[in-house]
Amino acid sequence: MKEVVLDCFGEACPVPLVKAQNKLAELEVGDVLIVQIDHSCAMKNLPEWATKDGHNVEVEEVDDGEWEVIIEKTK
Amino acid sequence: MAEEKTVSRRSSSASRKKPKKNQIPFGVTLVAIILVIGIALGTKSPTLALFWVTGICFGAILQKGRFCFTASMRDPYLTGGTSLTRAVLIAFAITTLGFAAIKYGYAAQGLPMPGMSYVVPVSFATVIGAFIFGIGMVIAGGCASGTLMRVGEGFHMQLISLFFFTVGSLWGAHDFGWWKYHVISKGKAIFLPDVFGWAGAIAVQLAIIGLLYIAAEKYEEKRKAE
Repeated sequence: MKEVVLDCFGEACPVPLVKAQNKLAELEVGDVLIVQIDHSCAMKNLPEWATKDGHNVEVEEVDDGEWEVIIEKTK
Repeated sequence: MAEEKTVSRRSSSASRKKPKKNQIPFGVTLVAIILVIGIALGTKSPTLALFWVTGICFGAILQKGRFCFTASMRDPYLTGGTSLTRAVLIAFAITTLGFAAIKYGYAAQGLPMPGMSYVVPVSFATVIGAFIFGIGMVIAGGCASGTLMRVGEGFHMQLISLFFFTVGSLWGAHDFGWWKYHVISKGKAIFLPDVFGWAGAIAVQLAIIGLLYIAAEKYEEKRKAE
């Protein structure tokens, strides 16, 4: 089981989403992808997409206006 | 649930997690400042105070609601989610009723209707313009209101968007006369109540919005099934 951190600080949406989609496609089932974002818009579409796609998703606000979206690949 | 526990035990953020500042004093101060400025504007002109209050409400709703016109057009393709698309359609349906009520109120009394200067000719210029605007807002990461809201949130990269948005608007305004004379005025201005009558116009517009809503829902189901 791998843990990959994807730094998307300073990237406007939809860049974090597209990067996460591409990265997640490379990972194996069971791996964890941590996407670091500071764009509030990505806070909505990233978890929404990952949940819809059937992965386990958790969002954590690490600092004011900085979030980590933790996605565990399940399929 | 076991896997979620392993997820939360990960290493990355634990070390850089800072204790959060209490934001309530800032909030209270901000509300006080907004009120003071609002009252000051109100003594000068009630309209200014109204603009001040509605502008702040609009910004707060945009920010808290994560309402994004860009995402409503982009996310169906990227994520397969149409929740924002449907939210925009509902907003259109509500404004259809609201604007129709206002305009009909004036028309019924034989008064000139407000906002009729926005009934402009429709032509291919509308379609091409909308398409260019769509490309621009997805690349810039926000439409006009979204960009302003994110600059207010402190997302500095979109200051660049805001700067070029202003430059582009000024340029557009500078050349607008030429476009209006040579392209836009060639089209035909259509005001739906003139064509279908008031009830018909509302029915037609709501029916189209309803069909789009159903299409958005079906599309989301289809994308989910894939």
